[in-house]
Amino acid sequence: MAALPTLEKPPAALADLPVGRPRTGWRKYWHLYAAISPFYLLFLCFGLIPVGFSLYLSFHRWDGLGSMEWAGLSQYRYLLSDTEFWSSIGTTIVIWALATFPMIFLAMVTAVMLNSAVRFKNLYRVAYFLPNVTSVVAIAIIFGSVFSTNFGLVNAFLQAVGFDQIAWLNTPWGIRIAIATLMTWQWTGYNAIIFLAGLQTVPGELYEAARMDGAGPVQTFFRITLPMMRPVLLFVLVVSTVTGLQSFSEPQVLLQNTSNDSTFSGGPGHAGRTMVLYFFQQTFDNNDFGYGAAVAWGIFLVVVLFSIINWRLVQRRGED
Amino acid sequence: MRLSRRGLLRAGLAGSAATALGGLASGCAVPTGSTGRNMVLWYWDGGLGDTVVKNARTRYDSSVDLQAIKIGGYYRSKLITTMAGRAHIPDIAGLKGEDMASYLPNADQFVDLRTLGADRYREQYLPWKWEQGIADDGTMVGFPIDCGPVAHFYQYAVFRRAGLPYEPADVSKELDTWEKFFAAGERLRQRIPGSYLLTDINSVFENVVQQGSARYVDKDRHFIGDQEHVRNAWALAVEAKQRKIVSNLVTGTPDQLSAVEDGKLPSQLGASWATSDLKNGVPKTKGRWRVADMPVRPSNNGGSFLSVTKACREPERAFRIISWMLDAGNQAQGFVDAGLFPSTPASYGLKQVREPDEFFGGQITMDVFGPAAQKIAVAYNSPFDVALGQPVKDEIKNVGVLGKDPEQAWRDAMSKCRRIAKHLGVSY
Repeated sequence: MAALPTLEKPPAALADLPVGRPRTGWRKYWHLYAAISPFYLLFLCFGLIPVGFSLYLSFHRWDGLGSMEWAGLSQYRYLLSDTEFWSSIGTTIVIWALATFPMIFLAMVTAVMLNSAVRFKNLYRVAYFLPNVTSVVAIAIIFGSVFSTNFGLVNAFLQAVGFDQIAWLNTPWGIRIAIATLMTWQWTGYNAIIFLAGLQTVPGELYEAARMDGAGPVQTFFRITLPMMRPVLLFVLVVSTVTGLQSFSEPQVLLQNTSNDSTFSGGPGHAGRTMVLYFFQQTFDNNDFGYGAAVAWGIFLVVVLFSIINWRLVQRRGED
Repeated sequence: MRLSRRGLLRAGLAGSAATALGGLASGCAVPTGSTGRNMVLWYWDGGLGDTVVKNARTRYDSSVDLQAIKIGGYYRSKLITTMAGRAHIPDIAGLKGEDMASYLPNADQFVDLRTLGADRYREQYLPWKWEQGIADDGTMVGFPIDCGPVAHFYQYAVFRRAGLPYEPADVSKELDTWEKFFAAGERLRQRIPGSYLLTDINSVFENVVQQGSARYVDKDRHFIGDQEHVRNAWALAVEAKQRKIVSNLVTGTPDQLSAVEDGKLPSQLGASWATSDLKNGVPKTKGRWRVADMPVRPSNNGGSFLSVTKACREPERAFRIISWMLDAGNQAQGFVDAGLFPSTPASYGLKQVREPDEFFGGQITMDVFGPAAQKIAVAYNSPFDVALGQPVKDEIKNVGVLGKDPEQAWRDAMSKCRRIAKHLGVSY
């Protein structure tokens, strides 16, 4: 970004203020603060206070209706020993990895293809973006039938090629792959659009210079495009991490059934029980709001940790 | 432009102070319950009969403006959020049966219906259902809406083809123990290959548990999920799997619905409200179904209540409205409107609930469900039942679907229960 030109003299609005003792920033700029305050006030009211309350709640026992009992650190102590929570972290990471890496690869390929001269470019952009604006619930219902055992498209294809049927939504790995595929399908287009925006910021001279030096398209991609795209890649990775680690609707809708079973159990063997699904189950199935809040903070720490790791990895590569 | 950190902090502080003050000022002005002539009733789609709600509005129109609001999504969360926020609390609130255990410990948030003369109506309702609305300290929180007697739905022609009893009375009489029921399942599989009597192992486990008079945690906050009644249900479920009478399909999936349609899953143990699931899920099977008694004894699954919240300004009037909405005549109307099975035995003889049902080949299903509803055992329902029942249900599912070793699964379930019990302060 270009630096803003520094102001030589104060703008007219400020020039005719009475001159006395030097004004502090606050008095001088109060109307500017006022102008940006609505967002901060709303964020404080509907963002920060609830966040603070959830922290307060995590030190209590509360069933959502009665009185709160002080529980000190016991919710967090239980969280550390809760094998179910740890396994939900594992599940989330597995699903995230299964979804994110193919997604980034496909998005990159799509973006590069869109960036080359094709007709109907805008049509493609809209088409690729559509999955992202479709309701997750609708997608999950469709995917539920795509992955169904006897009538699913996936199994129909497998049988056509000569493989056996797979009971996708009844086996642990089948469930994880189904959820990951759904997430990949949903986010590929969105990230392709972002990559495309990144690709268009790469100066054309670089490509021309590369052509002059006799670099092939593959070399050009790895030596020029990818390094120039690093900040965009970082952005996409961090955003995908934050959203992927918070996946909830996908497994919830994909694995719910009409029986009396809890809809938050994540299927057989809890194979699809992500962290947020576990949080939901603890909070709203068991009415254990204090522990639910502690789980939520556990999730927060995991997401922060992963974002930092991602950040470091991509930055490190930049320094080499 | 340059921002001094101090200036920013000051701005932030001033802003938050303003917000806090504004919040306080407006907080005092928000009414706890309803205002004016309004009497607000919260329920969910299908929770009450539409006709009954409409008639109640007209009937009480001279004195109150009854506003019945259907709340979508997670009803319970929205209700307790509103109650915890102490603003705009409905005067009359529907309470779902499965959530009752979590409301009862907070009976002080509701008006004790006994103080409004509820005991006068006691005789008109199913005794076990009436009990379910009463907290440990005797406070009556919920007034009975409907109940969910469980029966055995089966496909007449398939049973006949498999050489099994096929007339409802015969099915009830001859499949009256789990042993005979399982044997029928084996016979069905031999006669019609590829068919299973039941969809999954959980339907056996959960129905057997619900037939009993105990669940997972007792009144003294002690874990009883390791005792005979649960072990027995577990053993029967494992046996059903070993005798290969349960499929590996998941209820409600396209695979399962098509198997039901093809007569490969000719049997279901379901509550009275499952009739609408069948009618919507597999409409093509119209006329093929019949209803008979479940083996051993009927159980209950679901059923709701109406309550008067503490925020209600006119509890007597609210109680008059709900006791009228839930009398025998209106409960019969609720059955016609929304398939809500009456908790008032007087309804069972009324003409409108005794219509022959074409979906069931002209059978009068009330002849099965009515007597079943009156034979249900009372079980204490603890607020910790959900949390401590889940590991057991999850593990039996692993046995059924993933083929996990039953012994190992039971041990895992118990060790999970021990951990959860300790966390919730339930003795073991």
